[in-house]
Amino acid sequence: MADKTDLLPGTLDMLILKTLARAPLHGYGVALSIKRLSDDVLTVEEGSLYPALQRLLLQGWVKAEWKMTETKRRARFYTLTAAGRRQLGIELSQYEQMIAAIGRVLSDPKEA
Amino acid sequence: MSTFIRFLKKLWILLWRRKFLNELDEEMAFHRAQAEKEFIAGGMTPQAARDAAMRQFGNVAKLKEQSHQAVAFRMETVVQDLRLAIRQMLRSPGFAVTAVTTLALGIAANVIVFGVLQALVLRPLDVPNAGKVVSLQPGRNETNFSYPEFRDIRDGQSVFSAVAADRVMDFGLDANGATHPIWGYEVSGQYFEVVSIKPLLGRLLARADDDHPGAAEVAVLSWGAWKNYFNSDPDIIGKNVRLNKLPYTVIGVTPRGFYGTEKFLQPEVFVPMSNEAEIEKFNWLDGRQNHNAWAIARIKEGINVPQVQADLNTVASRITKQFPKEEAGLSIRVVRPGLLGDALGAPARAFLAGIMALAGIVLLAACANLGGLFAARTADRTRELAIRMAIGSSRFRILRQILTEAFLLSLMAGLAASALGWAALSGLGAWRPPTSLPLQFAVLPQPSLILAAGLFSFVAAVLFGIMPLRQILNADPNDAIKSGVGQSSAGRRWALRDILLAGQIALCCITITAAFVALRGLGKSLSMELGFRPANAVRAQFELAQAGYSSESAASFQRRLLAAASQLPGVEAIGYANSTPLAIDQSGTAVFSPETTDMRLTNAAFGAPDYSISPGYLAAAGTPLVSGRDVSFADTAKSPPVAIVNQEFARRLFHADHVIGRYFKTLPGRPIQIVGVVANGKYGTLNEDPKPAIFFPISQERNTSTALVVRTHPDPTGVTSRDMAAAIRKTILDLDPAVPIQESSVWSSQLGLQLFPAQVATVALSLFGAFGLLLSITGTFGLASYSVTKRLRELSIRVALGAQAKQILAAALGRMLMLLSIGSMVGLILGAAASRLLSAVVYQASALDPIVLCAVAFTMLLTGLVSIVNPVRRALHIDPAGVLREQ
Repeated sequence: MADKTDLLPGTLDMLILKTLARAPLHGYGVALSIKRLSDDVLTVEEGSLYPALQRLLLQGWVKAEWKMTETKRRARFYTLTAAGRRQLGIELSQYEQMIAAIGRVLSDPKEA
Repeated sequence: MSTFIRFLKKLWILLWRRKFLNELDEEMAFHRAQAEKEFIAGGMTPQAARDAAMRQFGNVAKLKEQSHQAVAFRMETVVQDLRLAIRQMLRSPGFAVTAVTTLALGIAANVIVFGVLQALVLRPLDVPNAGKVVSLQPGRNETNFSYPEFRDIRDGQSVFSAVAADRVMDFGLDANGATHPIWGYEVSGQYFEVVSIKPLLGRLLARADDDHPGAAEVAVLSWGAWKNYFNSDPDIIGKNVRLNKLPYTVIGVTPRGFYGTEKFLQPEVFVPMSNEAEIEKFNWLDGRQNHNAWAIARIKEGINVPQVQADLNTVASRITKQFPKEEAGLSIRVVRPGLLGDALGAPARAFLAGIMALAGIVLLAACANLGGLFAARTADRTRELAIRMAIGSSRFRILRQILTEAFLLSLMAGLAASALGWAALSGLGAWRPPTSLPLQFAVLPQPSLILAAGLFSFVAAVLFGIMPLRQILNADPNDAIKSGVGQSSAGRRWALRDILLAGQIALCCITITAAFVALRGLGKSLSMELGFRPANAVRAQFELAQAGYSSESAASFQRRLLAAASQLPGVEAIGYANSTPLAIDQSGTAVFSPETTDMRLTNAAFGAPDYSISPGYLAAAGTPLVSGRDVSFADTAKSPPVAIVNQEFARRLFHADHVIGRYFKTLPGRPIQIVGVVANGKYGTLNEDPKPAIFFPISQERNTSTALVVRTHPDPTGVTSRDMAAAIRKTILDLDPAVPIQESSVWSSQLGLQLFPAQVATVALSLFGAFGLLLSITGTFGLASYSVTKRLRELSIRVALGAQAKQILAAALGRMLMLLSIGSMVGLILGAAASRLLSAVVYQASALDPIVLCAVAFTMLLTGLVSIVNPVRRALHIDPAGVLREQ
């Protein structure tokens, strides 16, 4: 799973949750959205995306529903649940703490 | 708890794995298609785009695997759990065997009762689209319609595609040189449209066959009759058979598995109802007062039951308006078909529901029992569990392991219960109740039974498997490891298992109370005053119409038989009647006070069973004549009509004891003088309240149906009676070999059917009671031993410090005894309330009977003593030095 991932470990769930917080999307839409918004820097491998979505479903953070796309194809759309929104908040704050911590380690102490 | 929800979700995915994988497939296909589109939009050729999409996506099978793994159980852990569970069971085989046996019995009880319930109540009739078939019943105190009423309903309704009248009759069928008594149906023209089955051979009865009396002397045979009496003759169609000596042409054979529209009968023949007068020698087709027809109908497509009821209400009020005198108060109800409408259906359903509740209670008690043992065992394993938790096992993992054990046990129990239930139902289906004509219960086991067993096992496993839940969730590894064998919890706190024990004792006490109530009721029915003495009497039953007699020729045959049989040696008294009390065929008549002039049915004082009797019948039956005279052959059609009534009749109509010479009226308005009064008795059923009854002279009210009663010298061995029964049979056949004798045997043995429901109830309830007893003994024993073991160390210290035997017992088992008595009290109270349900079946069932109360209390006390005697011994013989050294 981690062999080709360009993402920071542990951030995939957060990215998916954040993406779904904007609007319900199908799996492909999630991958596309992350890719576009990161200006093609972050690519979510399908091999990580779908197991991750199933994990989120199991935790009850997202829910899935089969719907028609604009092009009249059946696709599974994922929606963020209230629990998911809470989880996103937790992960974001953890992420910020971590980034801040990393930032403190990397920055030059003399400048502080 | 969210772990638990996740567990359920996983279980769900495991159960619907195919759906899960298919959805994944579709989702990924969608993904590839979208990617492909993107590539084409970017200028690739379609082929190149597909290849690129595939490449990007990678190995589909592996991907699916990964997604599935994210949510699936790991197979290794399941196998591991199973292996551990089996090891646990092998380590304590006694526990495993007890658990499986207890559960298997509990589940089997439920499966068997469920099987009977399903066959008799839940399962619809065995006809196509059975949900649309209903029985109709008048709303008054009767179950049958008169034929004119039926005709009015049939022609006036607009909600049924077909309406038919039917009447179950016993026929004499001539085959293979003998006359066989069989069950048959007289049916009106639309009967086979209602059931809408296809014939096996020939055709079924149609409307034209029933158009008017004598329209067609044709009969349809059942598959059974065709096979047993006519050797499955393929050319049977068009042949003549003799029914009640009348020639009928066979036009068809019904398919195998069609048993008419009553679930407990096996009819052999179907004939047009318009021919009933020549068959029964009594025309009831035209009288509005002769309520002899059952009605059954098929609802039209697209019509619902409220619409049906509305239409029937309109029809009923129209009939009442047209015949205000005869049909006052007529209403028509829709009832479930299959058990003589509500007549048999209502008590049968009430009883089966009661039994089902008891079976549920037994299973619940078994679960409480096992739950208690499970909780106790888990408590014993506290240290082991604590170590496992300390080295990193999750609580959930431990819980899952215990649940696996519970499921394994109940799976084994479920399998055993299915086998047991299957065998029991097969036996019940093959069994014939003690009656002269073939009755049967269509309770053959269905495959759905296995499903039911599975469901019961699952519920049971969850019920007792989660009992130790709290213990596991609250377990503190630190504490448990420090303090050794769970000594910490041996204090004063009420444990869950204490409550379980009390609950279980209460539940078992309910079953025991029910069993005693039923036994007591049966005892009462065996010793109660019947109004006649069936001991030392022989009763021979036959229907002369089946041998082709008219009512005149029947009367002379009966006189000749009486003369011939009186000559037999050993006869003390002899007489005959059309029917006797408590026999299957009972008729009734409406009784009016002598002042009544407007003879409409609603003005009747009451309805009373009536019998036509010969001189000497009362003496032969042992019915005491309280005052007045017996009937006489001098009472004829030319002399004024007279009757003998019972004391209840006198009380109800005249509020007096001396009623000789007074008059009452029957339809159509004829005054009848009372010439004698007899003691009260039981007429329809054993558990009825005192009923008025009438005995007419058979020389005034002729009847082809004959019940000859002969009283012999008292002989406790019963040889005299049996010889007499054979002699009577020979005398009848000497007079006319064509008479189909339904019965000639000791009278008391013929009352079997009357006692049958009470006997069935008693056997069923006693089994439940015995099982309940067993459960309470094992449950109490288990917990008493456990509580002694658990506190062995504490008790040893007490002994070492000089505690007396009484103090030791109070410490070790005081709480136990308290639980036992609380449980018993609650159970007794609940049981008393529940036994009201029994009164439908068992005579005078009441738990407030002091004998029942004492018996239950005594049994519970004995149970308690038996189950704690061993733990008590252990507690008293503690060797403090040994115990303390060991620990």
